[in-house]
Amino acid sequence: MMTLLRQHGFAFGRALRQLLRARSGFLLNTFVVAIALALPFAGLNLLENLRPLSEQLSVEPEISIFMTPDAPREQAAALAANIRKIAGEVKGNASVEFIPREKALNALQARSGLGDVVATLGANPLPDSYVLKLAGLRKLDEAAHVETLAAKLKSLPGVDNVQVDSTWIKRLAALLNILQLALLFLGLTLGVVVVVVVFNTIRLQVLTQREEIEVSRLVGATDAFICRPFYYSGALLGLCAGAVALGAVALALVPMNDAIADFAHLYASEFQLAPLGPVASLILLALSATLGLLGALFSVRRHLARLN
Amino acid sequence: MIEFQRVTKRYSAHNIALSDVNLSIAKGEFVFLAGPSGAGKSTLLKMIAAIERPSSGTLTVNGQDIGKLKSSGLPYLRRNLGLILQQQRLLADRNVLANVMLPLVVSGATSQDAEKRARAALDKVGMLDKAGDEPLSLSGGEQQRVAIARAIVNRPQVILADEPTANLDRANAKKVLDALQAFHGVGVTCIVSTHDEPDTANRVIHLERGRVLESAAVHASLEESA
Repeated sequence: MMTLLRQHGFAFGRALRQLLRARSGFLLNTFVVAIALALPFAGLNLLENLRPLSEQLSVEPEISIFMTPDAPREQAAALAANIRKIAGEVKGNASVEFIPREKALNALQARSGLGDVVATLGANPLPDSYVLKLAGLRKLDEAAHVETLAAKLKSLPGVDNVQVDSTWIKRLAALLNILQLALLFLGLTLGVVVVVVVFNTIRLQVLTQREEIEVSRLVGATDAFICRPFYYSGALLGLCAGAVALGAVALALVPMNDAIADFAHLYASEFQLAPLGPVASLILLALSATLGLLGALFSVRRHLARLN
Repeated sequence: MIEFQRVTKRYSAHNIALSDVNLSIAKGEFVFLAGPSGAGKSTLLKMIAAIERPSSGTLTVNGQDIGKLKSSGLPYLRRNLGLILQQQRLLADRNVLANVMLPLVVSGATSQDAEKRARAALDKVGMLDKAGDEPLSLSGGEQQRVAIARAIVNRPQVILADEPTANLDRANAKKVLDALQAFHGVGVTCIVSTHDEPDTANRVIHLERGRVLESAAVHASLEESA
């Protein structure tokens, strides 16, 4: 165990010395990998900021239930219990408000400024109706199920039409899904780019250290002993690039937040983009190091086999 | 200890480096491999170190069949061998001491132990005062003695030296051979290739065109002819 730890220490030291020896190349490669990592990191940062915002949105779909014009008032009033029962199938608090046709007409006259026109109609053309509000839905998915609810309400006796204003909810949910998928695709693509860049960097290291590798083999070095410094080099490259990318994203938030603040004030909001938290940052750093390690692993396996 | 049984090494149909070699080298022997360039001396040494594998026949080193030895077993075989090549292959990016420490480091020795033993090995070949020097600043003879120190630092059972005096003047060549004789004196098996006829009382194996012509002690044949 001590021997293994000692050999890891030796390999880490070798990797550090190698990086310091070729520091300009290392800095350049770190910069290239950091650019590749910065884009998905920035996207993730944006999503992490938008997710709580979207969850805090009060998702209160409204469903308007219109009775047939000839439905008697008693039939309309009796429907309230059925509507509450159906609304109870959805999570959250449901409130049901009965709007008699007279009240609806008054509201129309008051709001639209078409009082004179409405007065010429003679009889009230509006039906009795209900407005069902589903408050406290926290998830967009739950709100999106409102369509199913509307279909049930439409099948009630005396109901002529049901209008749901949940379209925007579905659009928002779809947009966030697209953003998440785009980010995943971007992350995967740029992850491959990172692996390729590290692969090529380690390939050059293997070639420049060919003599050392051959001599080490002649004096009894195992493949693991030979490979370890390259693995550490790859992981260090990924780690440093990840740190630079996180730093760059955090720095970019400063001017972005200035612009966002101006926009948010228009909506009386204090919304600001916050940098990723320590746990998320550590996870991303570990991911960056793992990508670097993967690139080194593929490269060393391939190029050491050629030196055999 | 080292046994060649009908060993052939064929690089291609027309390039046969060793042909049907039968040879046995006992523990503690000092053996010269003599013959002109292309006789197969280097190939024979490389096969003992498992750098090359037999095309046919059986070669055993310390009881291990080189033809069947897995690549994972190679490092452990080589840790018992000390290799001295014509080109010393000292690493230019580190000093003499670090070069000699390398076989110990790959074996997992602590840096303190490795340094202590490397200094002792350099002392044995008279190069301790050059421990901090860069290999490229040394003369050919000095580089060869550093290579010997690197070969013996792991206390190998066998030293394989491929024309270690080829590029050296007479004085330096003598120092190198004296160093090898000293290790032989403490029980190390030494196999040294040379394209010159060795002036020695040790066993000489003559090779030509990949075949062993003669394997006998020179002094014995001299006594017989007298």
